[in-house]
Amino acid sequence: MSSGMLQNLIDPAILFFVFGVLAGAVRSNLEVPPALAKFFSLYLLVSLGLKGGANLAASGLPAAGALALGAALLMAALVPTYGFLILRRRTNPFDAAAIAATYGSVSAVTFIAAQQYLTQQGVAFGGYMTVAMVLMESPAIVMAVLLASYVRRRSAAPGEPAPSAALSMRKVLHEAFTDGAHLLLIGSLVIGFVTGDRGKQIMAPFAVDIFKGILAFFLLEMGLLVARQLRESQVRLERHLLAFALLMPVANAAVALALAAGLGLARGDAVLLAVLSASASYIVVPAIVRYAIPEARPGVYFTMSLACTFPFNILAGIPLYHAASGWLWS
Amino acid sequence: MRTLEPKKLLTLITSRDLQRLVLDTARRCGVGGYTIVPASGAGTSGVQTGILDGDSNVVIYIILSEPRLKTLLAEIDALMTAGYRVKALVSDIMILPRKAGSQG
Repeated sequence: MSSGMLQNLIDPAILFFVFGVLAGAVRSNLEVPPALAKFFSLYLLVSLGLKGGANLAASGLPAAGALALGAALLMAALVPTYGFLILRRRTNPFDAAAIAATYGSVSAVTFIAAQQYLTQQGVAFGGYMTVAMVLMESPAIVMAVLLASYVRRRSAAPGEPAPSAALSMRKVLHEAFTDGAHLLLIGSLVIGFVTGDRGKQIMAPFAVDIFKGILAFFLLEMGLLVARQLRESQVRLERHLLAFALLMPVANAAVALALAAGLGLARGDAVLLAVLSASASYIVVPAIVRYAIPEARPGVYFTMSLACTFPFNILAGIPLYHAASGWLWS
Repeated sequence: MRTLEPKKLLTLITSRDLQRLVLDTARRCGVGGYTIVPASGAGTSGVQTGILDGDSNVVIYIILSEPRLKTLLAEIDALMTAGYRVKALVSDIMILPRKAGSQG
């Protein structure tokens, strides 16, 4: 096992995640009250937004940052496109569109864990990468909705009108851009940017000092959740979907690292771009896809994202992408 | 004591993500009152632990008259046909009216 992976595994927050999985696996009655778990997830978004906004105010948006944001948008369009084309061959098209949207979007907690890992490794990254994360949340949803509309039109019998979704595109876009978690992150980012260094100092006892402890508690809950999904879910993932959930993150990270190297991005930004591309949404996208693509099976895309890809990235993916960046940036 | 009035109880089980969609549908059918209870469980949509929005269910109780029930059920059926995961259970109930002659 590489030293980076070992260091990642002995991080307290990561160990709490592993502990949560073990506690869930042995059917412990340990649980974090749902209201607290919800608060922790909101706290992490507020803290992430405040710190990202303050760092952005301090450093501005250099040319490299603008390039990183462009690369993030490109990956947000690429991942769901080729993801859909790969899945479409062996999966029903609505599931393919929903999974493509899930993997085209991002996981904020994976991004936070990656930031923590890079900080431990002494690798610098730009505050604008939080903006990159925000930018990468929604394009995949829009693409998936368009793909699902295309599939509906194709599946209609000749001469018959295409079955339409119960919701208009406008309504879906409204849901995508006003989702509570998404909006809170943007609001925190703007507040962090406007209040700058002074705001950062004022909020530090809340947004910085207790951050690691809250992250550990949230990851404990996520570990329990992953174990419960694996143990109790009646959804049996087909082998090719399981392979997609575990291999696609690595492929997406490889594409992102190659793109970042080609654009000359800094190593820390490249690793975060790789982590964002490799992660899959389990909060924002599943909520909207339930609305927008009701034909897709929620148990499939949610289980793939939460029970397979999330733990893979947290435990192995982040150090792996960092190690891979070492070869390209040496 | 006032006379018990026959009514229908519609129990809807759905994802918390779809709560607003279902309630908007009910409102369009003239439903003004309902009760929502957070729920967890498991089914073909996976485990609903009640922790994340994506794996949380709600149970929506609506007491209504038979004509209004039929209108609403037709709308719920249209949602289910479109693929939305909603379970609808109908029961006959007797209710003590809030005041004499009140309409539900």
